[in-house]
Amino acid sequence: MRPDELAIETRDLHKTFGEIHAVDGIDLSFHAGRIYGLLGPNGSGKTTLIRLMVGLAVATSGSVTVLGTPMPSRPLLARIGYMTQSDGLYSELSVWENLKFFAAMSGQRDDAVIAETLDVVELGDRRNTPILELSGGMRRRLSLACALVHRPAVVFLDEPTVGVDPVLRYQLWDHFRRLATAGTTLVVSSHVMDEGDRCDELVLIRAGRVLTTGSGVEIRQQAGTQDLESAFLKLSGVTTASHPQ
Amino acid sequence: MSRRRVAAIARRVMQQVRRDRRSLALLIIAPLAVLALLGFVIRDEKPIETRLGIVALGGPADTRVPQALSAAAAQAGITVVDVGTDAASGRAAVQDGRADVVIVAPAPFAGGSAAIQVITLGEAPADDGARLQVVAGLIERAVSQGAPLTIEHETIYGSPAGDVLNTFAPALIGFFGFFFVFVLTGISFLRERTGGTLERLLATPVRRSEIVVGYSLGFGFFATIQVVLILIFTLGVLTVPGIGPLASFNVGLGITSAGSPALAFVVLFLTAIGAVNLAIFLSTYARTELQVLEFIPIVIVPQALLGGVFWSVNSLPDPLGPIAGVLPMTHAIDGLRAVLVRGAGLSDGSLQLDIAYLVGIAILFVVLAGTTIRREIA
Repeated sequence: MRPDELAIETRDLHKTFGEIHAVDGIDLSFHAGRIYGLLGPNGSGKTTLIRLMVGLAVATSGSVTVLGTPMPSRPLLARIGYMTQSDGLYSELSVWENLKFFAAMSGQRDDAVIAETLDVVELGDRRNTPILELSGGMRRRLSLACALVHRPAVVFLDEPTVGVDPVLRYQLWDHFRRLATAGTTLVVSSHVMDEGDRCDELVLIRAGRVLTTGSGVEIRQQAGTQDLESAFLKLSGVTTASHPQ
Repeated sequence: MSRRRVAAIARRVMQQVRRDRRSLALLIIAPLAVLALLGFVIRDEKPIETRLGIVALGGPADTRVPQALSAAAAQAGITVVDVGTDAASGRAAVQDGRADVVIVAPAPFAGGSAAIQVITLGEAPADDGARLQVVAGLIERAVSQGAPLTIEHETIYGSPAGDVLNTFAPALIGFFGFFFVFVLTGISFLRERTGGTLERLLATPVRRSEIVVGYSLGFGFFATIQVVLILIFTLGVLTVPGIGPLASFNVGLGITSAGSPALAFVVLFLTAIGAVNLAIFLSTYARTELQVLEFIPIVIVPQALLGGVFWSVNSLPDPLGPIAGVLPMTHAIDGLRAVLVRGAGLSDGSLQLDIAYLVGIAILFVVLAGTTIRREIA
């Protein structure tokens, strides 16, 4: 996919669960080869938005198009990678068996590619280790590998750095950047505002609505604050003692 | 449908169960252990201890009946205890634990029209039932001493004096073939739903049908092993010779099968596949592993009660009879009885109906299971 080609587009997207408007009229355009950050507090609608984009949830109204295909589309899932918020691994199986299984589900049968993906997340020396014996950080890395093993064009990462130590977090973001440089579109959700500056573009979400979009610098300038957290609070209309409006 | 993906799912399920020793034991060892225990209890049940009291309301003037009962009891090796001369003292003896059962012979007892009163404790119906049988035997013996009247029982299949297990085993193996696979699949698929792996799986191009078929094949593999082992254990017997102080003992129930074990396998396998897919379907409605177990009294127990494990389906009261007719367990047990007891073959109409029903139920549950695996998980 050419850089800057439209990879994901949502139009007036709504998703309701009874009385709750989890996604409330979102319009977004994401381009190829960039990292997009969905930033917002817990329960703001980030995961629902990602699930709508992946096609795991059906929109109440509006539309999602990924790589030019309206979602949900089962065949297109072969070109999409999704790292869930939970690790989503089979604890009785080894590292290699888990990765090989999810690779098979996505149509990746090349053992060399599977092994290479394992090396990328630095778990090559753990291939026979059962999941139960892995640390939390290792599980997150394997979970990421499962989302990348079929070399997707678009990758959705739902809170990939939760519970991850600073060194690993740095390594993960470094890898995300390399993927984007190679042309992959990444959508990363997080409730940690510090991570915003690692993305090319941010979407600040609150109560299912987009507060603003732009780079970290642009958003800080727009809000007139020093950091993204203060910008988020200000744009949300929240007044605190330390962040006066 | 992608055969590669189906095979990958089936292989993964097999790897998971193989690594989970406790689940493997539940699937393979538990049914055999329970069958062995039931076989031991049913086959080697000892006669219940009965201390008999006889109250002759006719007093010393009419001792004919009490004497006949005492003589019959002595012949049967039953202890007769003194419980007084009226019904109240007989009742007190049962209440105090001096007697297990008291027969109150009316006065005068002509041997035909008068009723004999039998007093038991009423605490354990099974014990009372066994003792009433003893009393009935004694009365029959006492009454018929002049002109013995016996009932000669003949059966078309098997032998009336044969092993009770021969007729009971089809119900037991049908029940266990269903039960253990249901529990294990239900919990396993619930973990898939709650652990995030189903969500990840559904974010790949896999079809719902591939997941259901893959699961059916994976658990079907273990169901096959379980079914084969259950049948070998039920039909075979191996005598382990005594060593030193250890007496020799038998492994396996060794019941006689009138029909083809291969056909019994087909019936049992279809039952297990139905159980796998029913469990996948019902796991949608559970949030925790405990809630899967809560399906046992809803799904398993009624089938055991109505399906012919304990009571004949034909003796069920009207509203329950038709319900029993739609339960998979009823057809599984009926089919297994047809094969193992009657020796029915594939040309048997009743067996054809049972097999067709089990195939239909398995397909229905496969479809239902598929509908519960949606890409949208709200």
